[in-house]
Amino acid sequence: MGERAAAASLKFVTVQANSASLAEARARVFEFFKTTCRSIPTVMEIYNLQDVVNESQLRSAVSSEIRRHAHITNPKVIDMLLQKGTEELHNIVQHSKQRHHIIGQYVVGQRGLVHDLGTKDEGTSDFLKNFYRSNYF
Amino acid sequence: MALRAALIRHLRVPVQTLSPAGRVSQPSVANSLFGSIRFMSSHDDHLSKEDVADRVLSVVKSFPKVDPSKVTPDVHFQSDLGLDSLDNVEILMALEEEFKLEIPDKEADKIDSCKLAIEYIHNHPMAS
Repeated sequence: MGERAAAASLKFVTVQANSASLAEARARVFEFFKTTCRSIPTVMEIYNLQDVVNESQLRSAVSSEIRRHAHITNPKVIDMLLQKGTEELHNIVQHSKQRHHIIGQYVVGQRGLVHDLGTKDEGTSDFLKNFYRSNYF
Repeated sequence: MALRAALIRHLRVPVQTLSPAGRVSQPSVANSLFGSIRFMSSHDDHLSKEDVADRVLSVVKSFPKVDPSKVTPDVHFQSDLGLDSLDNVEILMALEEEFKLEIPDKEADKIDSCKLAIEYIHNHPMAS
């Protein structure tokens, strides 16, 4: 199962995505999402995440990462993002990352690390909150 | 495999018609008694439709973006539950995990409601 997940992600790494249209890019995105979801059991086994998170939370994390770029319409940009995503999946499945990377990046997620619920942060401006989230807003 | 099973079943018939005639030996009595009960067969090891429907509905209800009170066996994922196509794919992946299946892309594109999902899984031979 681990080999199949690794082989599936390896297939994406070697082939350069070159979508002719938005529809083709969209189909590739769904294919990437399915490959990632099918590798989730392997990832949980490699990094021993059984007590920390369950599969549906990881699926939601992956889909929210994809949804962050849902507004993009240029097929070349989508291909580039898919390439980065495939590389990331490959690194994770090949155990090049470590447990704290996965927990910090996908279990706790973007909001968890910098989101502070203390009273001192409630008055901060939207500019700062957006800035913590990403460079481009 | 199915042909072999059918052939063996067919070849059984002459043995069973002989056993009332030669009723002395022990093995032939055992044959006629236990011939109809197959202890090691998984032929009718199929999931029942209510079982499939219950599990599909529980998977859909536990999806974080779904309101559990709106989920019925006829509900359509995108038009009734307000999900988008990525959520549709995610629900299908959750169903794949629940029933230990792998749904090919062509079939997966057509499934966009609870009814179709229940039907597909019920008809799938590998569903467990």
